[in-house]
Amino acid sequence: MEFGRRLSRWTVLLAGTLLLAAFVAACNGDDDDDNGGGETPSGGGQTATPGQQNLGSVSVLGIWGAEELTSFDKMIAPWQQDTGGQVDFTGTRNITADLVLRVEGGNPPDVAIPAEIGLFQQFAREGRLISLDQCQGLEDTIRDNYPESFVDLGTVDGKLYGFFMKANTKGTIWYNPKFFDEHDLDVPEPDSFEDLVEFSNKVREDTDTPPWSMGIESAEASGWPASDWIQQIILNELGEEVYDGLIDGSIPFTDDRVKQAFEMFGEIATDPQMTVQGGAAGINATNFIDSTFPPFESPATAAMVYLGGFASGFITDQFPSAQPGTDFNFFTWPGGGITGDGNIVYAFNNNEATCSFLNYLATGEAQQIWVEEGGFTSLNGEVDLDAYPSDLARDQARQLLEAETFRFDLDDAIGGALQQALFQGLTQYIVDPGSLDSILQQIEGERE
Amino acid sequence: MIGRKPWVPWLWMSPALLLLSVYLVYPVLDTLRRSLLDRRSDSWVGLDNYRFIIENPRPLVGDTHSALLNNLLWLVLFPLIAVPVGLILAVLTSRVRYEAVAKSAVFIPMAVSFVAAAVIWRFMYEFNPNIGTLNALVQEIGGDRTAWLQNPNAPYIWLTERGPDSLPGPLQLNNFSIVVVAVWMWTGFTLVVLSAGLKSISTEVLEAARVDGANEWQIFRRIIIPILSPTIVVVTTTLVIQSLKIFDLVWVMTGGRFETDVVATLFFKQAFVVRDFGVGAALAVVLLLAVVPVMVISIRRFQFQEEIR
Repeated sequence: MEFGRRLSRWTVLLAGTLLLAAFVAACNGDDDDDNGGGETPSGGGQTATPGQQNLGSVSVLGIWGAEELTSFDKMIAPWQQDTGGQVDFTGTRNITADLVLRVEGGNPPDVAIPAEIGLFQQFAREGRLISLDQCQGLEDTIRDNYPESFVDLGTVDGKLYGFFMKANTKGTIWYNPKFFDEHDLDVPEPDSFEDLVEFSNKVREDTDTPPWSMGIESAEASGWPASDWIQQIILNELGEEVYDGLIDGSIPFTDDRVKQAFEMFGEIATDPQMTVQGGAAGINATNFIDSTFPPFESPATAAMVYLGGFASGFITDQFPSAQPGTDFNFFTWPGGGITGDGNIVYAFNNNEATCSFLNYLATGEAQQIWVEEGGFTSLNGEVDLDAYPSDLARDQARQLLEAETFRFDLDDAIGGALQQALFQGLTQYIVDPGSLDSILQQIEGERE
Repeated sequence: MIGRKPWVPWLWMSPALLLLSVYLVYPVLDTLRRSLLDRRSDSWVGLDNYRFIIENPRPLVGDTHSALLNNLLWLVLFPLIAVPVGLILAVLTSRVRYEAVAKSAVFIPMAVSFVAAAVIWRFMYEFNPNIGTLNALVQEIGGDRTAWLQNPNAPYIWLTERGPDSLPGPLQLNNFSIVVVAVWMWTGFTLVVLSAGLKSISTEVLEAARVDGANEWQIFRRIIIPILSPTIVVVTTTLVIQSLKIFDLVWVMTGGRFETDVVATLFFKQAFVVRDFGVGAALAVVLLLAVVPVMVISIRRFQFQEEIR
C-alpha cells in the first residue's frame, strides 16, 4: 500500500512535469514558426544548386490546388533553381478569411495572390503592403509590359502596390458547335443585349431546347455568376461611366439605369422557358460548375451557357474527349466591353527573397511556362500569343488584350459587405422580381 | 508532507490554468472589448454593435434577426427530434436479437466528421435528379424536384397545395433540411447513452411492475422514463450546446445563404468576410451569453449527483 501510494504520487509529478515541458516546447515551436513565416521554416536552400546564394524562403498564400498548383510549381521551378530560394505555397479556396485572419493575427504571408482587389485596397491604405517601387526594377517591368487599365487597378492613392498575373475574361458565351450545326443555327454576332434575347427566343422556337443553362449556387458566395451577367450588361448597355460610378459610389445601385440592367438580366433568369433549370428556384439551386454541362451533353439539353473563360476547364474536366473549337466554343458578349478578373500579386515585406520572387513572377518568361501548360491567360505583353495551347485559349487572351473597353469584375472591385449584398440581392431578385426596388435599396445600404 | 502546503494544489493546477487563461480567458475578454469597439477595433462605440443586432439595419448581408431565430429553431427542433427518436430506438433495439448490429448502424454517422457529412448530404439534396438522391426519389413518385437547401419558403410539395406558400421566420424548408442532417448524425449518440441508462434499470423493478399488471406502455411511461430522466437531461443539454454552436454543417451546406445563417456562421462572416469585428464580436458575446445558462444547469446537475452519490 505504502509503496503504491508513493508510486502514484511520483507518477502524478512526472505527468505534471511532462505536461509543462510539452507546453513550453509548444510555445517555442510557435516562435520558430513566426521567424520562418511558413510551414517549413529553415527549409530554404535545400534544392539550391551549389554555388548560388541562399535567399531563404518566401511564403505565398494563393488559391490554387490540383492541376493549377502543378502548373504554378512548374512556373516557379526555374526561380528556385537559379536563386536557391524556396517557395512555401499555401492554397486555399477561402482566401479572404484566411488573409484577414493572418494579417490581423500579425502573421501575414510574404506574398498574397488572391482574386479580389477590395481587400487589397484596404490593406494598401492601411499601410500594410509594400509599394512595388521598393523592389528594384519591378515597377518598370510592370509599367512597360502590362495594359494600362491593369496597372491602374494595382495603384492605390497614386502608388503601385500590386500587379496582375493570371487573368480571366468574362466576355465568353459558350455554345456547342455541333448542336448549332444540327439545327442550322448561325453563331450569332449580337450587337446588343436585346439581340441576344431575340436570338434566345429564336433558339427556343427553332430547336425546342431551352436556350440557356444557368447556375449561380456557390455556397457562401452564391450569386456571383449572376453578378457577372449584371456587370457585362452594365458595361455594354449603360456604359463605362455608370460602371465606374457604381464602384466609386457616385452612382448608387438605386439608380434607374441599374434597375434596368437587373431587369434585362431578369428577362432571361426569371423566365422559366429560358433556362433548362426552369427559372429562379433551379438557377439558385444549381452549382455554377454543373451549370456548364447541359449544352455539351448528348443530346444537348440547353444551347448556351454564359460563364467566364475558366468554364473551358470545367467542360474538359467533365467531358475529357471534348475538343476545343469543334465540341465547345464561345462567342463574344454583345458590345465592345469586356469585364474580367485576375489574380493580383502583392507583398507584405520587401525582403530580398520576396523582391526577387516578385521580379520573377512579373516577367513574360515566367508566365509563358504556365501559358504553355494551359488554363492561363497572361496580361504581360511579352508573352507570345503563339504560346497558347489552342485557338480557344488564344482567342480568350486576345479578347482581354484587345478589348475596346476593359473593366475589372464589378463585385470584386467593390468588395466587402457591398459585394456580399450584391450576391445576396441577386439570388433574391430572381425569385422575387417584384421587390427589386427594395433589394436595390438594401444593396446600396451596405456601401461604407 | 508536501501535500499540506497551501500553494501545492496551485502548482499542480498551474499548467491547466495557464492553458485556460491563454486559450479561453484572454480571448473571451478580448472579444468583450472588441464588441464595444468599431468595425476595425479602433475607437469606442459603446453598445452600437448590440443595437445593430437588435435593430437589424442591414438584413441583406448581416440578417441578425434571421440568425437568432434560426438558432432558436435549432435549439428547439434538434433535441426535440434527436432525443425521442434515440429513446424509442434504445427501447426497441433492447428487445431484438440483433441489437448490436442495429445500434451500430445508427451510431456510424457519429464517426463521420461534420464537414464530410455536410458534403455527403449536399449530394443527397442536389437539385439535379441525376445526382441528388432525394430529388430522384421525389420525381420517381411523381413530385416536382425541390431546391432543398436553397428554398427559403415552406416545404412546397405537399404543404403548399393546401397551406400557405411561405411560412414566417425560421420555419423554412432549407433549415429543416440541415437540421435533419444533424439529427442523422447525433441520434446515434442519444441512442447509445440512453440505451446504457436503460441497461442499468434492474429487471426486478420491471418484473414487479409486470406482476402488478402494468402494460408495456405504462412501464415505459411510469418507470423507464422517470428512472432515465437524469440521463435524458444530460443528453438534451449536450444537444442544446451542440445546436447553439452549430457552424460546420450550415457553413458547408449553404454558407449561411438563403436565410440559413445561425449566430456562429454570421459572426464568422461579419468578422472575417465583411471585416466588421465589432458586430462579429458582439454576436460572439450573444452566443456566449446563450450558452452560459445551459452550462450552469449542467454543472449544477453534476454537483448534485456528486453529493447524492
